[in-house]
Amino acid sequence: MNAPAGIGLRAPHLAEIDRDRPALGLLEIHAENYLLPSPSFAAMERVRADYRFSVHAVGLSLGAVDGLDAAHLARVAALVKRLQPDLVSDHLSWSTHGGRYFNDLLPLPYTEEALDVVVRNVDRLQEALGRQISIENPSCYLAIAHSTMSEPEFLSQLAKRSGCGLLLDANNIHVTAHNLSIDPARWLDGLPAAAITEYHLAGHAVNEVEGGTILIDDHGSRVGDPVWGLFSQCVERFGPRPTVIEWDTDIPALPVLLDEARRASVLLAAGGRHDARAA
Amino acid sequence: MTPTRIAIAAALASALTLPAVAQAQAQAQAQGRMPVEKCFGVSKAGQNDCQTDTSSCAGTSKKDNQPDAWIAVPKGTCQKIVGGVVKG
Amino acid sequence: MTLALREWQAAFVADLAGGGGEARLAIHRHHIQRSLAKALAMTFPTVHALVGADFFRQIAGIFVTRELPTQPVLAEYGAQFADFLAAEEAMHGLPYLADVARLDWALNVAFYSPRPSAADLTGLSPEVLLSKVLTLAPGAELIRSRYPLDRIWTASQPGAAEGEVDLAKGPTCLLVLPAGFVRLDEGEAAFVASIAEGHTLEAAAVAGFTAESNFGLAGCFGRLLGCEAFAALQQ
Repeated sequence: MNAPAGIGLRAPHLAEIDRDRPALGLLEIHAENYLLPSPSFAAMERVRADYRFSVHAVGLSLGAVDGLDAAHLARVAALVKRLQPDLVSDHLSWSTHGGRYFNDLLPLPYTEEALDVVVRNVDRLQEALGRQISIENPSCYLAIAHSTMSEPEFLSQLAKRSGCGLLLDANNIHVTAHNLSIDPARWLDGLPAAAITEYHLAGHAVNEVEGGTILIDDHGSRVGDPVWGLFSQCVERFGPRPTVIEWDTDIPALPVLLDEARRASVLLAAGGRHDARAA
Repeated sequence: MTPTRIAIAAALASALTLPAVAQAQAQAQAQGRMPVEKCFGVSKAGQNDCQTDTSSCAGTSKKDNQPDAWIAVPKGTCQKIVGGVVKG
Repeated sequence: MTLALREWQAAFVADLAGGGGEARLAIHRHHIQRSLAKALAMTFPTVHALVGADFFRQIAGIFVTRELPTQPVLAEYGAQFADFLAAEEAMHGLPYLADVARLDWALNVAFYSPRPSAADLTGLSPEVLLSKVLTLAPGAELIRSRYPLDRIWTASQPGAAEGEVDLAKGPTCLLVLPAGFVRLDEGEAAFVASIAEGHTLEAAAVAGFTAESNFGLAGCFGRLLGCEAFAALQQ
């Protein structure tokens, strides 16, 4: 079976997807939006029965030194148990400290100590869920001076030591590479193909600032051409994997997202050796 | 004056025997006053996402650590709310 | 020398709060403020409509700096927002705003409550009914305000009709339920409050008549049953 392409399920489209069941290879929800019972939960669960499914957590804070929040972990575990999704993931970042939740994917210094912390947290998460999870590369805005390894090295080590999968977000690679002046093609070097379980695609904003531009991972537009290019390289290098289009800012009508997913699907089927722009 | 026990029992029991239509009307009336379902539909869940706010970049130049300028006046449907409360 | 991760994260958080750190840290600082204000706007849509998007962002931003979430589910963030608006009335000058926030919060809580089957009292004898103790549906809440909260809410809905709301048309008592909210008169409110306190239907009815001599018990009870105001009976 070909690697499926799908979209992140967002609240404004839930009723439409529940009613029309559009052709999509995959749907992905944010775990934190479905930890409480509600009519939205009921609709999501109806929809889940008809699609391959991914649960993408945004708040486990896998880089937190204090470890995972037991109560939150238990709620996410219960959701995963109930939905039995094909994929489960969260980010290489932290968002809690001292009992407060910052609602941001904050950056980690890539050090041996941080690696130990993340491995420990990922182990605990995989144990609680009884399954493999995947870790996504974040969008970075800050160069952290005392990192002792690169992000891909850190991710590779993490996958090796914890047995977790890797979720490669091609837009995040592009954003990070631009903001930190890294060659995105070299970023891909040395990643273990076998560990890669999923791809993400999204749009970003280009912001003019003093002395140049900063890319902001706002998920607010179509996937840009450089990101399609990078995605194509990933697929060629690592193989096709389930792929999700994410859109969170100025969310458009559903057909726009279906169109982006179709484009990803064409590229996946062609093994990346295909000009996505012509698709 | 409080009605008798018997009258209260009869009133409660009569509510149970309201025809289904009347109960449905009661429900419609409740929803007409405040249609939670119709208001939010199923599309309310969505407070958590994982993008970066578009305007976050404002303030990345060194001097710009000031918060946004204070907009002094609430400007929304509060303009439709008039009068004062009669002190009771 | 490399800071240990714990100290490094503590310093990062201090820079976020204090405005320190390098210039690009502002991207994270702004994102936290803006994204949490956006989450509050979804949870408090009526407050948002009343004050407008710009003012809301500003006042929610102040709340965010004082009360960060303590866990990641943002639908559960904002429990103290109404108290904040009450304490900071000078910021907005709208005396009814905190009560509107209480209504928005109660609607949010009701939306995210389980929906077990409603109480079925069919076939109970009048005598049994008198001694019955009912439980309100999960998430149900009685809200009292000196302001006409229901009218303010209606006037603030998208596409609401033009026309003014007279603040003197209060006070109101609203019963917020998963299925909607209903405005209750004094007798009805006393009836529901008594049930919520765990009294029998007979005692609740007496409370209703005590509060309002014209209390329409049969109509009120029927309407509440129609709204699925009561949770299923525990056997």
